[in-house]
Amino acid sequence: MEDANTFDPDLVHAIFKLVWNRRALERERNEGADGLDIQVGAGASKKNRPTYANANALKLSCELLRIFVTEAVQRAATIAEAEGVSKIEATHLERILPQLLLDF
Amino acid sequence: MTSAITNQIIDEDDDGFDWEAAVREIDVACQTAKPCTPRPDQFSHFAPTISNFHYSKNKKRAVPSRQSTLDKFVAKAGPPRPRSEEPDQDRAQGDEGVGYIDIDADAAKTWIYPVNVPLRDYQFAITKKALFSNTLVALPTGLGKTLIAAVVMYNYFRWFPDGKIVFAAPSRPLVMQQIEACHNIVGIPQEWTIDMTGQISPAKRACFWKTKRVFFVTPQVLEKDIQSGTCLVKYLVCLVIDEAHRALGNYSYCVAVRELMAVPVQLRMLALTATPGSKQQTIQHIIDNLNISTLEYRTESDDDVSPYVHNRKIELIQVAMGQDAVEINNKLSEVIRPIVARLCAVGVLQNRDYQTLSPCELLNFRDKFRQAPPPDLAHIKYNEVEGYFGVLITLYHIRKLLSSHGIRPSYEMLEEKLQQGFFARFMSKNEDIWKAKLLMQQSLSHGAPSPKLSKMLEVLLDHFKTKDPQNSRVIIFSNFRGSVRDIMEALGNIGDLVRATQFIGQSTGKALKGQSQKVQQDVLEKFRAGGYNVIVATSIGEEGLDIMEVDLVICFDANVSPLRMIQRMGRTGRKHDGRVVVLACEGSELKGYMRKQASSKAVRKHMRNGGMNSFNFHSSPRMIPHIYKPEVQFVSLSIAQFVPRGKKVKDNHVIQTSVFEDKLTVAETSLLAKYFHRTDENTWKPSLIAFPHFQTFPSRVHKVMHGFRTGMLIDTMQHLQGLSFSADNKTTDVEDEVLLGKSLVVNVAKQHSTGTEGLLVHNDSLCIKSHREVLGTEVSPREVLRTEEKHSMLDFCGQNPSAHSYLFGSDYVSVDSFGKVLILDVPLLPLKEGPHSKYTTASSTASLNSSKQDFCHLQTSADDKKELTMQATCVGEITPVNRCIKDETLPTSGLFGSDVKQETTLDGVENIPERPSLNGIFFSEGDSDGGTPDVEIINEPLLLADECRDTFRDIELSPRLTNLIKCGVVPESPIHDKGSPNDEKKNEFLVSDLVSPVQLDTELGVKSSSSGKDERVIMDVIDNGRNGFVSPVNDEIQTPVFKLNNSVSIRGCTSTSPVVEEAQTPFVNLTNNSSNKDWHLSSGDKSETVEQRSKLKRLRKIGDYGKAEI
Repeated sequence: MEDANTFDPDLVHAIFKLVWNRRALERERNEGADGLDIQVGAGASKKNRPTYANANALKLSCELLRIFVTEAVQRAATIAEAEGVSKIEATHLERILPQLLLDF
Repeated sequence: MTSAITNQIIDEDDDGFDWEAAVREIDVACQTAKPCTPRPDQFSHFAPTISNFHYSKNKKRAVPSRQSTLDKFVAKAGPPRPRSEEPDQDRAQGDEGVGYIDIDADAAKTWIYPVNVPLRDYQFAITKKALFSNTLVALPTGLGKTLIAAVVMYNYFRWFPDGKIVFAAPSRPLVMQQIEACHNIVGIPQEWTIDMTGQISPAKRACFWKTKRVFFVTPQVLEKDIQSGTCLVKYLVCLVIDEAHRALGNYSYCVAVRELMAVPVQLRMLALTATPGSKQQTIQHIIDNLNISTLEYRTESDDDVSPYVHNRKIELIQVAMGQDAVEINNKLSEVIRPIVARLCAVGVLQNRDYQTLSPCELLNFRDKFRQAPPPDLAHIKYNEVEGYFGVLITLYHIRKLLSSHGIRPSYEMLEEKLQQGFFARFMSKNEDIWKAKLLMQQSLSHGAPSPKLSKMLEVLLDHFKTKDPQNSRVIIFSNFRGSVRDIMEALGNIGDLVRATQFIGQSTGKALKGQSQKVQQDVLEKFRAGGYNVIVATSIGEEGLDIMEVDLVICFDANVSPLRMIQRMGRTGRKHDGRVVVLACEGSELKGYMRKQASSKAVRKHMRNGGMNSFNFHSSPRMIPHIYKPEVQFVSLSIAQFVPRGKKVKDNHVIQTSVFEDKLTVAETSLLAKYFHRTDENTWKPSLIAFPHFQTFPSRVHKVMHGFRTGMLIDTMQHLQGLSFSADNKTTDVEDEVLLGKSLVVNVAKQHSTGTEGLLVHNDSLCIKSHREVLGTEVSPREVLRTEEKHSMLDFCGQNPSAHSYLFGSDYVSVDSFGKVLILDVPLLPLKEGPHSKYTTASSTASLNSSKQDFCHLQTSADDKKELTMQATCVGEITPVNRCIKDETLPTSGLFGSDVKQETTLDGVENIPERPSLNGIFFSEGDSDGGTPDVEIINEPLLLADECRDTFRDIELSPRLTNLIKCGVVPESPIHDKGSPNDEKKNEFLVSDLVSPVQLDTELGVKSSSSGKDERVIMDVIDNGRNGFVSPVNDEIQTPVFKLNNSVSIRGCTSTSPVVEEAQTPFVNLTNNSSNKDWHLSSGDKSETVEQRSKLKRLRKIGDYGKAEI
């Protein structure tokens, strides 16, 4: 779609990776905690492999994020406008947040 | 040819040179003008050619020492062309040819010859020549062609700081081998070198072409990149072509060079081969294709080479055909004979002995037939003749296989051919072929080894007897994979002395699977390391692969081209003496071998003396301008360890990036800290439950429509909130909206007045008046205000339930039983009735009749019961509200008004119902909680009963609450981070403690635990209070409210006032603290929590009443 206006895939990828790594670490820690008494099978290595995404998936993620953010801003903006404020505040976001999250 | 033309011109033009030199000069001049192989159209370039020539001559005079320069680059000039490299030509070329590539003047003063390895004269001589002219180096295998190439490349690398150098080798393993070999000889920094094969994507290659300077490529890559333009041809200064004998026809080498010449590009061409060709013709083709001007040819017997050649013994072992094979051969001959006879009769085949024909000759005959069929042959016969040719070729091929490879490969071929096709159809009726096939089958079933195979095993075993099987290496060459497999099978049977493996190409056929290049590399690696000591290879093992320490080469089939034979032999005798055994079957194979050996000898003669007499050479640019006279400099180069590109490099890269990511400099971290706050504490987490009323209707969308789940949420929220005020509330809302606001207001006002009258009268004589006054003031604005504002007012009422409760507190206690009884009467709207009951109770205490009447009136009135409740709440709250308004609520009310206005109408509608309900709840809470402690302190007996009730209530509340939480019916509750969890816990705590005593003990039995209960009750009160206080929309409002409350209690409660104070103060403080601390959330949130609480309370109430009923 609008390639130029969407998020930088590299940035999104970096963010994703950060989250994945953190999650993998957490998982490892959790597994390490009960891994002592639970026999870890051969599949452990596969499990521990960090998540990755291919280029198209990244592109798609960027687009989704872009739409999500614009939608959030726009909805919050309507609320803010209804209140006669020109600045979107956190409370405005809070008002639309539950439904926004459910919409995505 | 052009040479003739140029000769004439030169004769006219210049007499100063001898003929030979003149040819050179003119050729060179032509080259500079248009450096492609001379073509007829070069006439158009004569003018520039001649001018160039003169120019160069003029220049020549300026150069004083002509001979010395000549010596520089013609070190070993052959006698026929002593002055072939005239300095003036070189100068001319240099001036023009190096136009766009800078020369490092300092570097160009010398050329470097490495002495890391012992100097060999022939290498040095060839290198010297190759630096200044396009050279074809024909050097026997294992004599260090790569060194020559590496030295030339290194010097061009030095001379031309921007120049690009290309080394082309025909296969990927060779490319890999050569990049390492070159690195180990001269050590061109690895950051400048790159190996590029088809495995690297063109885009990447384009990048490398820009960034690197020395390229080791496959010819295909070179061709494609030149054609696509990614190869920066203008910067090419040197092109080395390995295995140059392949440069025939349209092979990529030729195409690439043609493209380069068409640009045109001035560059140094260096072609390397061990076997330039088996015919003079082919060598000439190579020379033409590669623009070669010098042929450097050495054989093992040459003086300067022979010291370095290890003794290589070539043995020809003649093997008689086996008995079976001879029989089969005869049968096949019988098949062949009539066909040959027929073809001879037609006249397309020479009349000669059919035994001497070979498939190759037959192919030639067929071509001849196709080009010029005999005139007397009918056209319809063409197909027949073609068919005969096809059959004959197949048969001869089978015979060849039979003689050189044994029965099995030939049998397999025959079998395959008999499966389908013309051959099968033609031969299906032929008895002889079936007999031959039968014989083959029989012989194969016997398992009799072919004589060649047994001979080979014999040779091999002999070899390993004399040599250590651990260190000795043997390569067995065979032309066919089928026989490779046979050999492998045979070798498998002779024990562990021989550790053999096959080494074959990649292509995977029907019968035999190929080896991937990875496997091939693996095989070579293991072979070098000693994992295998025998390799059985097809032709892929013949060329270039630098396998040291091969002692014995066995050629399983002899009848291969002399080129291949030389390559095969070149695998041995590299580091030390080697032995070549050629197994030739008597008969056609032996003859063929002999014939080919003879022809290769003839070719050698052509190449003597630089081939000047036999070949036409092309001129070549000198590349280095003549003013530079590079002197040789012997340098011992320090060569860094070669790091193979690939895994290691990648790993390094990964490490580097991770280091980069991990460590930030102090400046960077401070920069980050400056612009990005630390996210530990300041993180703002958006609340999902902050605006529950917003979730009861769909929010406005931008582009993304609401989903199914949002719809569910809205429904649920509506349902939940509808629960709290039931469907009737909505009707009231509707009424509020639809009906005339004013009439309502009037009603409300009236009711208020009555209610307050009743209430206030009993409460406090002192306060009543003020209250009333306030009420009056309140009512009047309400009348003026619209419904929304009323709602906001109601909200304010809702904020101060505690105060209200205190008003009722003392009284309530006494009339507890009353209240219940009253409530039980009206179970239709339990939620609403809760408050009702309280009010009724409260009012009843003060003046039972009046309040009852009031309520009865209200109930009986045409207005809905909801309205009643609304009004009741209003009534209850009005007093505090008034006070609040007096003190502080005015601004808040303003705020609320604005809020309400700004909110959409829906919002307003939905918000409003909430609040009344809240109010009711607070009343209940306030009543119960506020009342009980008071009572406790005043009257203990009474207290107990109340306590028990309270506790009952609490108990009933808490499990429900927990249940609700568990069930998820109340989605908000877990999200009350600070407030509600506490409540829950406390409630639970109460539950755990109190459930048993309360259930088991009756009211009397609770005495023992009364003190504890007191505390708990207080705790509970605090909880309730908290919730209650939460209800106010702003924290700021809260505290004043409390003050008010206190004051109210002091004022309002006549007899119990001090006690009330005591009881209230602690929790007031607590609540203040807690509320201040905890409830940073926005007003909406508070209302929500309150609301939830209210639900629970209501539930409790219902349950309570239910119990009471029971």
